[in-house]
Amino acid sequence: MSKKYIITICDGTGCIQKDNAAIRKILEQQLKEHNLTNDVRVNLSGCLGMCDKGPIVVINPGYTIYGNVTTNDIPEIVEEHIVKGKPLARLAIQEDHLYNRFFRIFGDAKFFGKQMRIALRNCGIIDPENIDDYLSLRGYEALAKVLTDMTPKQVIEEVKLSGLRGRGGAGFPTGVKWQITARAGSPNSPRSASDEKYVICNADEGDPGAFMDRSAIEGDPHTVLEGMIIGGYAIGAKQGIVYIRAEYPLAVRRLEKAIADAREHGFLGKNILGSDFSFDIDIRLGAGAFVCGEETALIRSIEGGRGMPRPRPPYPSVEGLFGKPTLINNVETWANIPVVILDSGKWFSTVGTERSKGTKVFALAGMVVNTGLIEVPMGTTLREIIYDIGGGIPNNKEFKAVQTGGPSGGCLPAKYLDTPVDYESLAKAGSIMGSGGMIVIDHDSCMVDIAKYFLEFTQNESCGKCTPCREGTKRMLDILIKITEGKGEMYDIENLERLGNMIKKASLCGLGQSAPNPVLSTILNFREEYEEHVKDKKCRAGVCKQLLTYEITDKCVGCGACKKVCPVVAITGTTKAKHIIDQNKCIKCGACFSKCKFDAIIKK
Amino acid sequence: MAKPTDIIKKKRAEAVSRIIGKGYLSSKRVYVGMATCEIAAGSKEVMEVFKNAVTKGGLTDVYLSQKGCAGRCNLEPTVEVIEVGKNPVRYGKINPEKAQQIIDKHLKKGEVIKEWVID
Repeated sequence: MSKKYIITICDGTGCIQKDNAAIRKILEQQLKEHNLTNDVRVNLSGCLGMCDKGPIVVINPGYTIYGNVTTNDIPEIVEEHIVKGKPLARLAIQEDHLYNRFFRIFGDAKFFGKQMRIALRNCGIIDPENIDDYLSLRGYEALAKVLTDMTPKQVIEEVKLSGLRGRGGAGFPTGVKWQITARAGSPNSPRSASDEKYVICNADEGDPGAFMDRSAIEGDPHTVLEGMIIGGYAIGAKQGIVYIRAEYPLAVRRLEKAIADAREHGFLGKNILGSDFSFDIDIRLGAGAFVCGEETALIRSIEGGRGMPRPRPPYPSVEGLFGKPTLINNVETWANIPVVILDSGKWFSTVGTERSKGTKVFALAGMVVNTGLIEVPMGTTLREIIYDIGGGIPNNKEFKAVQTGGPSGGCLPAKYLDTPVDYESLAKAGSIMGSGGMIVIDHDSCMVDIAKYFLEFTQNESCGKCTPCREGTKRMLDILIKITEGKGEMYDIENLERLGNMIKKASLCGLGQSAPNPVLSTILNFREEYEEHVKDKKCRAGVCKQLLTYEITDKCVGCGACKKVCPVVAITGTTKAKHIIDQNKCIKCGACFSKCKFDAIIKK
Repeated sequence: MAKPTDIIKKKRAEAVSRIIGKGYLSSKRVYVGMATCEIAAGSKEVMEVFKNAVTKGGLTDVYLSQKGCAGRCNLEPTVEVIEVGKNPVRYGKINPEKAQQIIDKHLKKGEVIKEWVID
């Protein structure tokens, strides 16, 4: 017998309780008896997430999972599986799912406990630059299955059945999009220009603080490629394009290597895996304009034009790249496809909520203990994400709001913490799902300032094609600056609302239509903060500089340190006597505040 | 002609044997996180330390590999050690000096450095 095996015994709490130690003992005895100790390795793993079927024993290669194993079963497993090389059907659990491989490696640490990894199933596990690692974890098997057993129509039906929706943020049903693109250009379609079609992967991730797509491509580029090839087969395209920003050099490099390796193995190119289907993928680099994440602007950019959106319809599914039907999906959407095919659309549709299926990747950032990249089933509440996975707010501070959807999304206050994460619930609460940015805000942040930050970003990135977005966001920003400087009037708040709603309705593309969201949602949920800025000229978080006053209290010992650092000589006082800040001269730079060793200077 | 599913089965088996050929069955496997964020946090230098130990420092029976981002942004760079018969150990916030200590203590003597372990 020459074949080598690795036997992994689950060592999670559940299996320990069911006496996995006895199983290990008997197993090692048995291996010794059969003189197999040199050929078989026994491993322990963290919780595999199948506690109800414990004790669990996994045998690799092959990834055969045995459940409810008793010590009496061990001799049989060794005899049949290891010696004879035949997996034992009686005990094997048919759970060769692609998802949740994570538990095998990382165990049941709190950070991963509530997560479910489908799109990121290999991220942080495999070497992304080695196609063998991907292949060993059932890589490209979904593609082979599609090419062997499924017609393009069946593939589309499977994706429709899964209930997968676009992960770029808008949430359009992916299967329906595939179907429309597949039908476009056919003789029955009104626009039957030619049979040429394109597949595009939108990796132009532009939200500040978002890094889902970058991590997915850097951690597991092949799954995105495999999804795209399957998409190409389903709609009848021959060419795929990944549009990725040039600011992601490592992701681009790994993608290039992945494409080259896939070509070498015959997963790309002519007659893929011996079938009559041919498909290839190229990379186009974006120059980092936020608007190019919008599909029509992205297509314009690939065509060599200036990245500007155009009105829809016609949608890219009908008239896209070079006027041909084009299937455009986000990185995360593509990464889900191999799982939908291999684990079946029916299984996929059991994850998540009624209308939002599967999982969603979030870049958890801001004032939270465990910042990080997470993937949770749809329907997980914001509270679970922020407190259970994120570990809560650092320094025992209090939660104030969570911002989802980046510059297109909104801020939700504490009363929405139990909102389940899905497309409809988040929209109902006044924010959006977006592509997956999630920023936690504590009471040290000023909501007006945050709205200003996001609007500054969208205003900068507005392409200028349509007036509501170009001029409207500029005027909104002017008003916000006015308010944060303490020069606001009460009618400014109403003007912001009026202007915001007008921009939403009248803008050409998603950038303008969503740009006012951060402002509108903060006015809706934190109106009192806006009013304080206007009426009382106060910023309760102490962020808006112009509204601050620094004062020296009786704690002052007259050391003179503050006087020395003040750049505008606003502080006066003699040595060993209390100093005074001249409020008319003070520029609120905060230098004295950070210099004082005696906590004698307060910010109000 | 062979069906695509048969071709992929063969390719998978070949891939597995190539991985094993590279030393996957060593008694210890070490993974260093190498996404942009981890590299920015200094994982390239950490990787160098491990690479040197394997190529020049006489560290044997160790399979060294890079991996993508597992999502623990605040604890990067991360290093993971998987040992035969033991639970995997994940270290966070590793720098070249700490990497050297992981080699000296954990990989050579089997002592887990508890204070750096992520739980």
